[in-house]
Amino acid sequence: MRGEPEGPLAPEEITSDSAFTLPGFFDALAEGQLLAGRCTDCGTRLVPPRPACYDCGSRAVRLEEQPHTGTVASYTAVYQPPSPFADLAPMTVAVVELDSGARLTGRVTATLEDVEIGAGVQLRVRDPAEVGVDPEMHLSYEEEWPLHEFDLRG
Amino acid sequence: METAHIATVGASPVGRTDLPGRDLFSRALAEAFEGLPDPAAVVDAVYVGAQSERYENQIMQGTLLAEWAGLNNRPAERVEACAAAGALALKNAVRDVRAGVHDAVLACGVEKMTAGGTEGATNALAAAFERALEQRSGVTAPSQYALLARRYLHETEATETDLARIAVKNHRNATANPRAMFDHEVDVETVLGSDPVAPPLKLYDCAPVSDGAAAVLITTPAAVSDLGTESVEVAGVGTAANTLAVAERDLTSVEGADVAAGRAYEEAGVGPADVDVAEVHDAFTVCEALLAEAVGFAPEGAGVETVHEPAERSAGWTDVRVNTSGGLKARGHPIGATGLFQAVEGYEQLTGRAGDRQVPGADTALLVNEGGLADAHTAAHLLRRAR
Repeated sequence: MRGEPEGPLAPEEITSDSAFTLPGFFDALAEGQLLAGRCTDCGTRLVPPRPACYDCGSRAVRLEEQPHTGTVASYTAVYQPPSPFADLAPMTVAVVELDSGARLTGRVTATLEDVEIGAGVQLRVRDPAEVGVDPEMHLSYEEEWPLHEFDLRG
Repeated sequence: METAHIATVGASPVGRTDLPGRDLFSRALAEAFEGLPDPAAVVDAVYVGAQSERYENQIMQGTLLAEWAGLNNRPAERVEACAAAGALALKNAVRDVRAGVHDAVLACGVEKMTAGGTEGATNALAAAFERALEQRSGVTAPSQYALLARRYLHETEATETDLARIAVKNHRNATANPRAMFDHEVDVETVLGSDPVAPPLKLYDCAPVSDGAAAVLITTPAAVSDLGTESVEVAGVGTAANTLAVAERDLTSVEGADVAAGRAYEEAGVGPADVDVAEVHDAFTVCEALLAEAVGFAPEGAGVETVHEPAERSAGWTDVRVNTSGGLKARGHPIGATGLFQAVEGYEQLTGRAGDRQVPGADTALLVNEGGLADAHTAAHLLRRAR
């Protein structure tokens, strides 16, 4: 993240090349980098990065690469998913707290019975074409964006 | 500042009907204006709460419903915050009347959820969640709330049976409400044995997909006198938006509801212990427990005791009666109209028109309407019997 700006961002810094925007965030994710915005005032980590911290309002937010490991904070199984995910039902979904403290929601590649709060998980980044969701789901600008999921760690 | 009053209310039946949205609205408006002058002689402006244009492929609901009410060239607009849309319409109407902008504003809500079947409703509701990471992970309304429920059961002593009892209580309350979608009681075993939707939530933990419309007329006290109706004062209003993504929030504390209700209490000069009846947003059983704690009725971890008589509740609980209408669970949940159905119940309780579900002497009511995942948007209103 060297050379990345630390906020407040100037207008010309907010382009699709920047991971402070969704295209930039997903470009990095496609290359295996999960980025958060870390608020340098209060320490909160925000996934995906955005120009201001929701917790304290500061715009002194800097990009920070996140670990790919974490634990399950809560989980469920979706029995009746939105139609593009019909082939994956029932699918396990969790809120994961990464080892950095950042949190994000994602599918878990394990059955509900095998998951519990506190279970260790590992992030995996997938090509959307491999996941089994209906490609009709993607908006035009989302077509190249990877999908993420979590594997249970043994 | 003017005070804002609910001068009259009306609602359509709730459930699966053969009426499109505009006709459901006509039913609600006809009831609200029964025996009164034409809406055109009374109403200065209209706000419409509507969740999604996916159901009927229709935006411009402000224009359409004003047209159907005979209100030509009046300000009329739709407001949207998923299931909090109805209470946002109410909030805007109250604001306009208090500010002296208008003397009488119609707040209404309408949703024709059954138009696209269960799949259509699932897809339309999923649009309320964060798109980039959460929608693209396949989340649904039940699954988002299940994440809260799982964590709540983990952190507190509450059990799935406790959540089931909330559904049982709300079904029982609905049997005394002629406006309710469901008129049958259920038992704990039925709730616990119902199909899994997003564990630990089961079918009977979830509010149903419903059609419905409701209309509430907000006016000055002088306009109430002209109409000759019985009114209820809107004494406090508070709204707050919290994060869209479930991952970014405290999973067992609905802070936005605490803030919104706090603002409503403060405006009205009351506290949680003063509230006699409350309609809180039980889209899923766990919400009733979380909200009872967030708005100050219950101590932390004891929210599931909404089902008990006041004398049987833990220390620190108030005597409030929660979801006397049957709540979203059993009265029904036509998304954009729900906040106004809550106002209809508050009005009926405070004017002594609640029939077999009347809480004797009810003087103060709290309405808590939420949109998106829990407190992604909260709109709270404090109602008081007119003096």
